[in-house]
Formats: sequence, C-alpha cells, structure tokens
Amino acid sequence: MTTANSAQTEGPSASLQAASLEFRQATKRYDGADRPAVNELSLEVPAGEICVLVGPSGCGKTTAMRMVNRMIDITSGDILVGGESVRDRDEADLRRHVGYVIQQIGLFPHRTIAENIATVPKLLGWDKRRTAARVDELLDLIGLPAEMGGRYPAQLSGGQRQRVGVARALAADPPVMLMDEPFGAIDPINRERLQNEFLRLQAELRKTIVFVTHDIDEAIKMGDRIAVMQEGGHLAQYAPPAELLMHPANPFVEDFVGADRALKRLALQRVRDVDLWTAPLVHAGDPAPEARAKLAAAEVPYALLVDDGDRPLGWLSERALAGEQVSAELSSDPEPVVELDDILRDALSDLLAHEVQYGPVVDHQGRVVGVLSIELLSHAIAEEPEGG
Amino acid sequence: MIELVFAQLQRRDRSGGDCVADNGICPDWIADNFDRYLDPFWQHVYLTLVSVAIGFAIAFALALLAHRRRWLAPPITQVTGILYTLPSVAVFFLLLPLTGRGNTTAIIALVAYSLLILFRNFMAGFDNVPDESKDAGRGMGLSYRQLLWQVELPLALPEIMAGLRIAVTTTVGLTALVFLAGAGGLGEALFADINFRSNVLVAGGLAVLLAVVLDLLILALQWALTPWMRARA
Amino acid sequence: MSTTLAFLGDFGDAFDYIFHSRESQAGGARVGGSELLPLLWTHLKVTGAAMGIAIAIALPIGLALGHTGRGAFATISVSNVGRAVPSIALIAFFVAFFPRTPEFWNVTVALALLAIPPILTNAFVGVRQVSRDAVDAARGMGMSGTQIVRSVELPLALPLIFGGIKTSTVNVIATATIAPLVGVLTLGDPIISGTVHGRAGQIGASIVVALLAVLAELALSAVQRAVTPTGVKLEKGASARASRLGTLKRRIQTVP
Repeated sequence: MTTANSAQTEGPSASLQAASLEFRQATKRYDGADRPAVNELSLEVPAGEICVLVGPSGCGKTTAMRMVNRMIDITSGDILVGGESVRDRDEADLRRHVGYVIQQIGLFPHRTIAENIATVPKLLGWDKRRTAARVDELLDLIGLPAEMGGRYPAQLSGGQRQRVGVARALAADPPVMLMDEPFGAIDPINRERLQNEFLRLQAELRKTIVFVTHDIDEAIKMGDRIAVMQEGGHLAQYAPPAELLMHPANPFVEDFVGADRALKRLALQRVRDVDLWTAPLVHAGDPAPEARAKLAAAEVPYALLVDDGDRPLGWLSERALAGEQVSAELSSDPEPVVELDDILRDALSDLLAHEVQYGPVVDHQGRVVGVLSIELLSHAIAEEPEGG
Repeated sequence: MIELVFAQLQRRDRSGGDCVADNGICPDWIADNFDRYLDPFWQHVYLTLVSVAIGFAIAFALALLAHRRRWLAPPITQVTGILYTLPSVAVFFLLLPLTGRGNTTAIIALVAYSLLILFRNFMAGFDNVPDESKDAGRGMGLSYRQLLWQVELPLALPEIMAGLRIAVTTTVGLTALVFLAGAGGLGEALFADINFRSNVLVAGGLAVLLAVVLDLLILALQWALTPWMRARA
Repeated sequence: MSTTLAFLGDFGDAFDYIFHSRESQAGGARVGGSELLPLLWTHLKVTGAAMGIAIAIALPIGLALGHTGRGAFATISVSNVGRAVPSIALIAFFVAFFPRTPEFWNVTVALALLAIPPILTNAFVGVRQVSRDAVDAARGMGMSGTQIVRSVELPLALPLIFGGIKTSTVNVIATATIAPLVGVLTLGDPIISGTVHGRAGQIGASIVVALLAVLAELALSAVQRAVTPTGVKLEKGASARASRLGTLKRRIQTVP
C-alpha cells in the first residue's frame, strides 16, 4: 500500500530547481526569556518535499519558519538552504530567493495584482517582457483570468487574494518556500479547495516547502513529512504522516494527533490502494445461471446490473436472477458510486451517509472495477502500511 | 482708536457715491477698485505656498528621521506642538528683534505653525500602513529604503495629503495676519478699511476663495496619486 | 554681536515691561505692569464668552449627530470651511456688517464661530469611535437613546471632546490677540499699538500671550487626561493597533 500523498506519487520531479533545507540545532533565544523559543531544532527536508511544522500556539513553529529567511535572527545553530548557510548570505538577497506566504497575505493595496506578483522579479532585475510573461503564466497557474492582473487587491475576494499571495511567492521561481498558515483565514469550504489546488500545483512544481499550521488534519493532508513541535521549541517527532499516526513518539504527540488517529489514517489512502472485492457484473438479458454462479463466487450478496459500457445501474433483487434471463428488476440504486481516486475517508463517509455496506467502484470512464465495503475499510484502518 | 477710524474713513475712495456712503455692498466700487486687491492677493499666495512648501519639506525630513528612530517621534511632536500652541501674532513680535519686519518673519512663523500638523499626519500615515504588507514586503526581500519608498510612503499618502490640506487652509487664514509683521497680504487690504462692508467682503472673500481653491487642488492631486483608493470591489 | 546684545536688551526691557508699569512712549498714560491686568481680564472675558457659546452650540449637535451617525459629510464640510476663513476676516465681517452691535459682542460671536468646528468635529468623532459593541449591548439592555448618550457614549467620548475644547480654546486665545484692531482691548493691544507701548511692550505682551496659550494647553491637557476613563487608558495600546483595521472611512482631522 502506498501513501496517497500527491507530492510523492504524482508529477515529474522538479527537484532540480528545488533545494534541500536543513535545520542544524537551530536555536532562538529571546532576551529575558527563561526558555528558548526554538530549542536546537534539527531536521532535514529533502528537495521537492513539503515539511509541515505543526504544534500548539507558542511551540515555536512560526519562529522556526521565520528563521529560515532571517525575519528572525538565529541565536545559535544554523539553517542550510541548498547546502549553504543562511547566516552567510545578505538578508535581502536571501529573501528574494525564498518564497514567503503569510496568513494575512499582505498584498500591497496600492499596487495592481500584476504589480504585486511582479515584485520580486523586479527586485531581481528581470526585464519587462520576461516579467509580464511570468505574471501571465502564474495567473493561469492559479486559475485567474488574465484581466485580473489590472485589478487592485480590494476588488478581489479573500480566496482570490490568497491565491495571488501564493503566485506572488512563486514569481521568481524560488527553490524554497515558506508558508505560515496560508489558508488559516479562509472559511472551511474554500480552504479545502485551496488546499487541493495547492497540492495539484505542488505536484507540478515540486518546490521544497516549509508549511506551518496548528491544524493536525491539514498537516496530515499537506505534508510529506510532519514535524510536531512542543512548547519550548522542542521537536517531538519528525516523520511521514502514516508513521506519525501509527507510532506517535510520546504522549504529547499522541494527544496532539488525536484519539481518532486510526480514522485519520483513512485520509492518507485512496480507494485504488485497497484490494477491492470483485463485482458480480451482469447485463440485462444475460443467462441467469451464469449470473447466479458469479454471485455465488462473490463476497457481495447482490449482483450489480450494468449497462453496455459497464456503468452501474443498480443492485439486483434475487427475483431478477430467478428466471431464464436476468431481468432489470432493481432492489436498490447503485448509490453511493465511489471513484478510484476518492480518499478512503470520504468513501467511508459516503457509505455511512447512504446507510449501506457496499458501493460500486468506478474508474475515470465510469466503468465498474470493483466493490468497496465497510469491511474492507476497517481492514485498511487496522493494517500496517508497507514501508512505514 | 478714534484716530484709526477717522483715518479709515478718509482713505476710502468716495467714487461710489451713495452706496459707499451708506456702507453697503457696492458692485461698482468693487469693479472699479478690484486691481488694488491684486498685489495683496499675490503676496498672500506667495507667502502661503512658500511657507507650506518649506514646512512640508522640514516635516518630511523630520518624519523620515522619526521613522528610522522611533524614539524621536514623541520629542519632535512635543516641540512642534509648542510651536503650534504659540499664537502667531506673538511669534511675529518675538521674532521681530531677530528678523525684522517683512516676509522672513512671516514665513518663519507660518512654517513653525504648520510643522505640527504636517509631522503628525506623516506619523499617522505611517501608522496606517497595514502590518502584513510590511511583513510580506520585508519577507520578499525589500530593503528598508525600498520598503519605505515603494510601500510605506505611497500607502501613507492619503493621511499626508489630509494633513497638507489642513496646513494649507490654516496657513491661508494665518497669512491674513502677517501684515502686522509688515509682510502685506490680504489682511492688509482688509484692515485698511475694516468698517467698509464691500472691502471686508472682497478681501475676506478672496482669502476664503484662495483657501478653498488650494484645498480642492490638493484633493485632486490626492485623487490622482491614489488610483487604488478609487477602485473598490 | 551688537544685534545679539540689542536683542537681549530688548528681551530684558520686555520683562521689565511685564512687571513694572511705566510712562507710555507717547507720554501721558501709564502702561505695562499692573496696567496689563485690565487687558488680561478682557482677554479672558472674551475667550470665556466665546467658548461658552461655542460649547453650548457645538457639543449637543456633535453628540446628537455622532449618536445617530448621520451628518458626517456636513460635519466635515463645516470643519473644512471653518478652517478656510481667516480669523481677522470673520471679525471684520461682524464689525462691518453689524456696526450697531457693541464690538465686544461682535468679536465674541466671531470667535465663537471660529471655536465651533473643532468642538463639533471632535464631539462627532468622539461619539462615533465609541465601540459599537458597547452601544449595542446598552441598547440591548433597554437603555433609551438619551441614557445611552449619557452613560456610555459621553464618558467614552470625553477625551476627544476635551481635545476639541483644548484646540478651540488655544485658537480663541490666539485670535483674541487681534481684537484690539476693532477696539476690543485684549492683551494684543500693546502688540498692535507699538507707538504707545514701545518695543518692550510689543515683546512683553507677546510673551504674556504666548504663556497664556501654553498654560491653557497644559491645563486642558491635564483635564483631558483626568477625564479619560482608566479602562480606556489601559486599552490605548491595543486600540492603536485596532484602529488600523479601519474604523472611520473618512478621516476627520482632530487634535488629540
């Protein structure tokens, strides 16, 4: 079973452009405070991956992120971007090569969207044509029409502004990106959309990203690796999501991840990752004895009526198989129809909502390829993933 | 005081006939004598514009200083505040021994008066720049100076312009008094015949007109310089 | 060197003028020292009368408008126009157009008109910036309009209101200096009638007027601080941040 995290499984690797990131016992101590804000943080983020820093308020996750581009100075230890220490570089120059997205976005109200996006390219001295082309490319990437470029931030919705914020950070194609609760100020519906869009983007671009959030569900969804931080700036555990859920390192992590961590694991897999039950497919007019044989061999107690294209029409009653030929007498409709790419958690939710035990699984063309059941799902929860 | 009134009656041009004698508002008299207001008017314009320009330049310099070193803001506000409180007439005469009668004294007093208003509005403008824009700007790699000139000053513009409008209108008002320091202006024309209604109307009216026109000009300038304020969702 | 000495000499002479009466330059009358007291008294009378009228008119209107939230545009316009009219023009207007009214009242009314805009604006803004939540809660508890104004809006608006009164008072004190131009003998008389009181008189009176203005400013600032509710003082730091999130759409200029 492989994890469903798109950053690892989909898209061409753009890691040529991305740089690796390393925290080496990075510490931040404020004057007069008895405990450090970040305490000897050490972790490595491979190029092209998303590392999520997660933890309760005051655990130092935002401080740690801001140490990467030296918005906060490092007291001791080091941070390396692409093998080079950030302490050696000129501040402003470093920041121009690190994407920076904050929760309140911080678009410049007095500049148009296009001008906002073009900020870092201009700072780096790109010529006008190259900059304009890049702005158009990014507007397209984030799904905004080209004429939006001439508008001002005040004229955009919150979700649109958030996307512009991301585009602005991507403008100079930085090898590393820092994102501080970028979707925190958005309502839950749009937040999910933005998260999905961002993951799609990341699948294409494969940047090295440090992503800060306080929401463990977001961390699990977005991260290739998760760094759970405790108060006092301690790193409690640094692991891929599946391992975090299966083997929390200490009671704090266990608590933080939540009592429902078993269920949370369902968020990591897709329907295609499960060994589906074979669907007993019959067409109207098929010879009934054959249909009955198929049904006997299947784990599901009902036969599934499909059309010529193998698309599900409904579950058949026993009477439908009683005669010579299969009749189209349905006992229930096929809902919920689950897709191969659906996340297991959502599939479980659908099955429960329809109060059924099973649902047909279809591929991109809508053809039935198997059956998903509650039983299969509980096995998925209980099993160890391969490779950890 | 009686001598002053007699002197005024004598200075008044009798050519308007009955209207003038009755101390009414006489269009004929105004038309005939309008050019005697031109010199004072232009003096008034000159003094106002020069004083506000100098005041603006000084306030701007002080604001940049206080922006760099925050601790300077309160003392600068205190000092300019005291200058603002002192009645201008008193300032004219306190300066007399040093700078004598004429434009210099007037301009120094007018500049001192406008400093508080302008400086305070610069500071208020800076305060109004959204924190997240500054954070994002720094995070993207804008240097201190780039942030100041490309982000903070443009966003502080509305507040700065508001201060400029106030400074200009109050300076027009104050310039009406500089005749006491020997600098002419519309106040001189006004005072020349303070009991004659037509005179008061024209001299006073011109001053008000000047203030309103300058106010609107600055407003237009503000509107032109801040396209993002016009574009609302 | 000699100008500096002369300058110092002028000031020395001026201080003498303030404290000791002497023969006037033109001869005949006594000026300076205790002779300044009647001038001071007139100055204070005119200021007091003008401020009294101004507050009586501007405060209720400002509070009422602020409470209902209407009339923002009118208030701003009044404030803008008020700034544009030169004080001397206003005084001259009354003197010229109402020659039969005693000068004292002409000057007082003119000064009152000058004093109205800052009080009106600050009362309006003062009430408006009172937290809408607090007012809402008060209304929800069943307070009538006047009760809300009295127990919630007025106390919380007091600091700004006193700021407006402070600005106006200082302005009026300054403007009353030119009242002698139309025959009302305030502390400006020695300044304007230089021939009678001499250089010492002009500078001396300037110093006294300046001191008067500064004293008024300090005294009223102290009052302003005293009427600021303790809870509001503690909030000041936090509210400075909050106001950045944009309270008033139109920034009405006030002197805090």
